[in-house]
Amino acid sequence: MELLVTMLANLLATDGALLGAGIAALTGLGAGIGMGIATGKAVEATARQPEAVGKIRTMLLLGLAFAETTAIYGLLVSILLIFVA
Amino acid sequence: MENFSAQLLATDKFAGLKDKIFPSDVIVIGGFRINDSVITGFIVVFVLLIAALILRLTVIRHWKTTPSAIQMFLEWLVSFFDKSADEMTENYSKLMGPYTLGAATYICCGVLIEMFGLRPAIADIGACFALALCTFLFIHTLGFAKNKFRRFTHYLNPINIVTDLSVPVSMTFRLFGSILSGMVIMDMVYILVESIWYFGLPLVLPAVLTPLFTLFHAFIQSYVFASLTLTFVQEAIETPPRRQKKPKKQKVSDGEAAGKQATA
Repeated sequence: MELLVTMLANLLATDGALLGAGIAALTGLGAGIGMGIATGKAVEATARQPEAVGKIRTMLLLGLAFAETTAIYGLLVSILLIFVA
Repeated sequence: MENFSAQLLATDKFAGLKDKIFPSDVIVIGGFRINDSVITGFIVVFVLLIAALILRLTVIRHWKTTPSAIQMFLEWLVSFFDKSADEMTENYSKLMGPYTLGAATYICCGVLIEMFGLRPAIADIGACFALALCTFLFIHTLGFAKNKFRRFTHYLNPINIVTDLSVPVSMTFRLFGSILSGMVIMDMVYILVESIWYFGLPLVLPAVLTPLFTLFHAFIQSYVFASLTLTFVQEAIETPPRRQKKPKKQKVSDGEAAGKQATA
């Protein structure tokens, strides 16, 4: 047991930054789900009211930009952890 | 084929990637530093100015009723930004249309210059922050110009202050993060391609991946920057709703009525 703990401590001390980078990349999960829901709703709205395509597209792009931001934050954090820390 | 995986796993080749994350200083005079992104930025501005001058002297001088291809493109570009500015910011569209067009053009060309082997001008956190600060200034000057002192009622809720301060930060990191990630992925692809020299992959792989990570990002991010600017300005110049006292009085009277009924 002690051996395992020391091994874990060693791992965290040497490769903790890489582990953190992997965890930070999980932000893609939430962003992907959110963007999928937004796109699906936009498709539904377009099917229901094809005349409003232009407005729906601008709104969809805005929403996607906001949802994408969190994924980009995660990516930045993991890049910083890999290359700077 | 044994060589293939060995070459892929040769991790020391990626060590050069570390120097490319942040721009390196080219000129250092005391505390005054100029990095390569700034130099690229000046090149982009110079090229854009020259292009604008050439277009002004050739195409726009000979403006025709039966348009040529370049004239069609210019008209579409300018009217696209002017229309969206007209829809979002009614009175200030003459200010916001040119600003969004200029910012979008700078972002787009600043990223696309990566194809000539230079470091993209936007892949520097200072450049992103400058653009975001311009947007921040536009939002608040226009907000105060439109609503005068009634704008201060917007700040009675302290959460609104945090929201407003987070706008430039989020715009900075969105732009910087997406451009930097595209650049890092393309650099990684170039390093991979250097080590794999068979199958004709060095010709095909970058040609397939460049549109994905450079072109797509350039257009999407410039469009997103422009439309986000317009949306925030639209929010800022909305006239705050005046306090309607009538419904409250009705509620109070309803409550009193209910109380009277209860007592009765």
